[in-house]
Amino acid sequence: MRFRIYRYNPETDTAPRMQDYEVEGLEPTMMLRDALLRIKAQDETLSFRHSCGEGVCGSDGMNINGRNGLACITPLGELKEPVVVRPLPGLPVVRDLIVDMSRFWHHYRSVRPYLIVHDPVPEVEFRQLPAQRDRLDGLYECILCACCTTSCPSFWWNPDRFRGPAALLQAYRFLADSRDQETESRLDELDGPYRLFRCHTIMNCAAVCPKGLNPTRAIHAIKKLMVEHAI
Amino acid sequence: MSIRAQGLRTWLWQRLSAAYLAAFLLFSLAGWILAGPWDYVRWRALLTDPVYAVATALFFAALLLHGWVGGRDIVMDYVPAGALRFTALTLLALAVIVMGAWAVVILLLAQIT
Repeated sequence: MRFRIYRYNPETDTAPRMQDYEVEGLEPTMMLRDALLRIKAQDETLSFRHSCGEGVCGSDGMNINGRNGLACITPLGELKEPVVVRPLPGLPVVRDLIVDMSRFWHHYRSVRPYLIVHDPVPEVEFRQLPAQRDRLDGLYECILCACCTTSCPSFWWNPDRFRGPAALLQAYRFLADSRDQETESRLDELDGPYRLFRCHTIMNCAAVCPKGLNPTRAIHAIKKLMVEHAI
Repeated sequence: MSIRAQGLRTWLWQRLSAAYLAAFLLFSLAGWILAGPWDYVRWRALLTDPVYAVATALFFAALLLHGWVGGRDIVMDYVPAGALRFTALTLLALAVIVMGAWAVVILLLAQIT
């Protein structure tokens, strides 16, 4: 099977280049991560992040044949040859397929992705009705792989100021939580022309999410919540 | 959260103006088709009707507002912040003002003459 992989080492290379590899003995049911590990066995200079190998940790997000996805859950049988593998777009490359996620984590931290409760903490547990818990479905499952944010043109255009789909999905995850008591300040923090309202419903985020989540819907729900709180 | 919040307010204006544009165009087109055929005299009479003239003025106001928000979004996305963006936004604002004034002149002339 043939692969074309983005290679760039800022310490030695003046510019990025695409390197071709041929790997024998791969099965269609094997995942791209398996192929990359075989390539790394051939050429140990190839660098990429990976960990759990089963779509849970979100480490091996990359651009595969022009579409962001996780290498560990992308079957080789579904890929056209040569398989073109590049780093996630829109973030600075550290080396080969490894990108600097600082900006992504900055936006994630900015939405305060944790419960904020001012009432005394209950002795046993926070209680929720089943319906209140159901509101978190489709939100809490995000594994922060950055596939959505780095496929969003609004993030490419305004990476410093637009929070991006992943952070906004997490923002809504806590806005929708019946236990959280910081709704007003969370909404205030997201106002302004850039942080939330750069989303133009392009929906690349929903198209590439490896967990099948829909950040666009969450962003729309935040806007709806803003209107409800403003009027 | 306040209705005066910058991002929310702009977004709401864009949505409300879009709803008005759609409604006006739909009703107008239906009316034009159902009440046809049209000649110059009937068009003049329609535009001198105060209710229709106000609705038409609101249509142009909504169109320009919608265009301003959309154009501003495009400039904010594609033009880097600084002198270039300022120039682009100023030109856009000027274009919106000139077109607005032109629409007012047309509607007023229709009322007067």
